[in-house]
Amino acid sequence: MSVFCNSFGARAGRLANSRSLQLFQNQARGRNHDLSRGRRRASSRGAMNVFDRTAKIRQKNRACASPDAQTYDYIRNEVASQIVDRVCDVTSVPVDGAVVDEEHCLPFSDNSFDLIMSSLSLHWVNDLPGALKEVWRVLRPDSPLVGAMFAGDTLFELRSSLQLAEMEREGGFSPHISPFVQVSDIGSLLNRAGFTITTIDTDEIQVNYPSMYEVIQDLKGMGESNCAWNRRHYIRRSTLTAAAAIYHDMFGAEENGVSATLQILYFIGWKPDHSQRGPAPRGSAGASLKDIGSHTT
Amino acid sequence: MKLLTHNMLTSHVKGVKNGFPLRILARKVEVRQIDFNPNFITRMIPRIDWSVLRAAAENLGHGQGLPESPPEEYESQEDFLKSAHHVLMEVEVLEGDLECPESGRKFPVTEGIPNMLLREDEV
Repeated sequence: MSVFCNSFGARAGRLANSRSLQLFQNQARGRNHDLSRGRRRASSRGAMNVFDRTAKIRQKNRACASPDAQTYDYIRNEVASQIVDRVCDVTSVPVDGAVVDEEHCLPFSDNSFDLIMSSLSLHWVNDLPGALKEVWRVLRPDSPLVGAMFAGDTLFELRSSLQLAEMEREGGFSPHISPFVQVSDIGSLLNRAGFTITTIDTDEIQVNYPSMYEVIQDLKGMGESNCAWNRRHYIRRSTLTAAAAIYHDMFGAEENGVSATLQILYFIGWKPDHSQRGPAPRGSAGASLKDIGSHTT
Repeated sequence: MKLLTHNMLTSHVKGVKNGFPLRILARKVEVRQIDFNPNFITRMIPRIDWSVLRAAAENLGHGQGLPESPPEEYESQEDFLKSAHHVLMEVEVLEGDLECPESGRKFPVTEGIPNMLLREDEV
């Protein structure tokens, strides 16, 4: 579920003179959505059904209802300001919001937006190709989707520590960290959805915490707790203690504490338009790479 | 929810062919002062459905002074731009419902934010 706009950080209000839709997680304070969904059946669009979206709504609502919810916004604010940097701001435009579901039809007609931004919300979407196709549908031709998503290396320290501890204590392990999109996959995902002129770059944010427990607490405060269908609903205290020790041992920060890595993938994709320049026709090259050394500037 | 947003929202309930425009059943409307940006309004005018905007503004009691269609050369008419700015950006529905014209399904608006989430059976 995403709410478009509301507010995210001090730079949020500055958008181009155009209709923009920002998809990001529900940050409405204390909002309790009464969704009487039962257990989800497999999406009609594909077999991918990794995340329990109802559980995710509950986690997000719980996070928003906390009085100090804003203290957990540091990652979101940082990524959001990076996204806003990537969009050319022209003037300040006040923004408005709506709660929409990225997984199903967006409640907008085709070709209605000049820009769509998504900041750290697509990693909870089950049918990512479908969601990108929906975004493509509501974009006007020659308009971009600017987004940021968590990529494969995110929280690898937490993942490995929990995995090692569970192997050691319980003889097996269960997934505690969501599967993330790989940097190598996002290009083809965007192309398959119909986007062209894709630009992709990654950024790693390392955050230091006193211990693994604070990492987990902050993730919960951000509403980013695990919501995969195949998650275990409990963890043994001994496993948790062992994991914290392993984490401190393997991934300790320079000063006291531990570090957590968040790999953010920034991408921009454009909806094709005949005004966009395509590749030049074959054989039209005027200069050869062989002559590179002979050109003086 | 500003009327600019309302001008973009459609209902996507399964089986609905034309879910636009959504009927506004407002319980609480507020007027907020927003800085007038003539460039923004000028660029928005050709992209919105003016008749829908006018009907929605009248429904909320703010339709006075709005012409039936944008005048020729509206870019230079500051009065028209200011009244368009007022209904597009300054009138906000804080509490109420948005009703799908075909199915009658109501989308609630809470604290100014419309909730367009559908149930499983409506997708």
